[in-house]
Formats: sequence, structure tokens, C-alpha cells
Amino acid sequence: MSDHLAATFDKFTFRVAVGRLYSPEGAWAARIQEETGKRVRVGITDFVQQRAGDVAFLSVKAPGSRLQAGDELAEMETVKVNLSIPAPVGGTIVEVNPALELTPEVVNKDPYGEGWLAVIEVASWEQESAKLLEARAYLSVMQSQIEQEVKSR
Amino acid sequence: MTGEPAQVVVIPCSGIGKTYGSVAREAAYALCDDLRPGGTRLVALAKLVLGEEAARERVRTCPVVTIDGCKLMCASKLVTHSGGQVAHEVAVLEVYRRHKELKPEGIEELNEGGLALARVLAEEVAEVVDEIRRTRTAPGGIRA
Repeated sequence: MSDHLAATFDKFTFRVAVGRLYSPEGAWAARIQEETGKRVRVGITDFVQQRAGDVAFLSVKAPGSRLQAGDELAEMETVKVNLSIPAPVGGTIVEVNPALELTPEVVNKDPYGEGWLAVIEVASWEQESAKLLEARAYLSVMQSQIEQEVKSR
Repeated sequence: MTGEPAQVVVIPCSGIGKTYGSVAREAAYALCDDLRPGGTRLVALAKLVLGEEAARERVRTCPVVTIDGCKLMCASKLVTHSGGQVAHEVAVLEVYRRHKELKPEGIEELNEGGLALARVLAEEVAEVVDEIRRTRTAPGGIRA
């Protein structure tokens, strides 16, 4: 079984990694210790990175910052747009991906792996994850967003 | 005994309708028209796309520097596809990351940041051109 779902529009294929949860805005969250962990690795989806284009700079809030779900986690400047990335879960940032400073393009190359943004410690994973979408549900949301975008052109 | 330094072919991204492509083109103009007019030769990427024989011959026989607007690296790829070898390739984004204050905007007309970034890029590539010309001679020359 593939570890990704995918949707193809025109010449673009957008992958959605299974085994993690998603905000409708296109941020993912994956618990680091599957059963008991309160630490959650977060990043952006393949769809968001492809739509935004090549990343020039990426600034993630510093470790120690406390966020609610939906608060700005990172600012991303690409060759096309400036984007605010909302946190998929609330909690305290405990780690920022050090690779982003010198090689922010890692977000384009590997958004679900090496291109992760931060690790957030949550108070309650059950509470934070309740508002997030499974991969298949996010795939549907993403497809709707693409269709809307195509219609608005 | 030494031969004449090789003329360096400069090929920028065609980049029509893209900000970073426009920076690539402006940098190539600055390099070939102002900074190193005697040592460089600007070749339009479109000529390679169309398979124009004179352009293909030029990239096969001269050292080539490509200036690309994005990671697709069309200029670099087309040189290779045309039988040439890229002596040096650069992408606008690489240079912008080192000069965050020069944010390029605009397409038909670049903003001040974009023009300044193009100039910085052109100056960096001019040094590369000098280095290439120190070690390469024109076709038929003595230096390898």
C-alpha cells in the first residue's frame, strides 16, 4: 500500500502523506511518539508548497513560542507569494528545523520529510487532533480548493 | 605562446511573464552590454529552443554561462540538450537568498530591488566570466 494519496490536476500531481493529520489550510501534524507522545512534528503539504512555488525564505516562530491552533507558525516567502502558515495544533514550539535557515528549498523537495517546520509540544493530543482531518478527508478538501481556484481563473 | 581568451556565451532564462526570469534577463544585459561587452556574447534561449544551428554551434564551441530564473533550469538544460557544456550555472533565487534586501517585483518593469539584484548578479557572474577567460581560449587556441 502506498504511503501517499495523490490527486492530479492538469500537469500537476499533489501528494498527501498518510499517517498524519491535516488542517484545511494545508499544514500537517504527526505525533513523534505514536502512542503517548505530546510532541508533534508539523509542516506544510505538497499542495501548499507547489502552489506557493520555490521558497526563498522561511521564518518559523522561535522555540518557546506558545501558539493556539490557527496562529501564525511561520512566514514563507517564495518566488510567487508571501504566505503565513497557520499552526495545525496549539502548544509550545520546542524545536525548529535547522535546515530551513540555509536550505529552505528542502520544503519544496521533501515537504513531508526533511522539510518539516517545527516540533510543537501539545497539552493534549486528543484535544488538538480532534479538529484535524485524516489524509483522505484532506485530499477531498484539497481537491475542492483546486477546483475553486481553477474556476476563479 | 597563448591563444585569445574565449568569448563566453551567456544564456539567460527567457522568463517572459515571470519576475525572476526578468531579473535573469536584466542581469544578462548588464553583464554583456556594460560589464564585459568584449568577453561575452548574449544568446537568446529561444534560439536554442528553435534549434537554430548558429546558436547550437556557439554553445558547442564556447564556454557557456547560464542564468536561470527558477529551479526548472531551462537555460542550463537546453545548453546540454544542444550538445554544449555549461561552464557555470546560476539561479536568481540563489543570489536573492544572499541579498534579502533586494526583493524583486514587477514583470515588464522590475522594481528598484529587482534591478539592483540583477546588477549584483551580473557583477558576480562577471567575475566567473573573468575566471573562465583566464583558463580557456577561443576555438583553435592553445589553452585548453
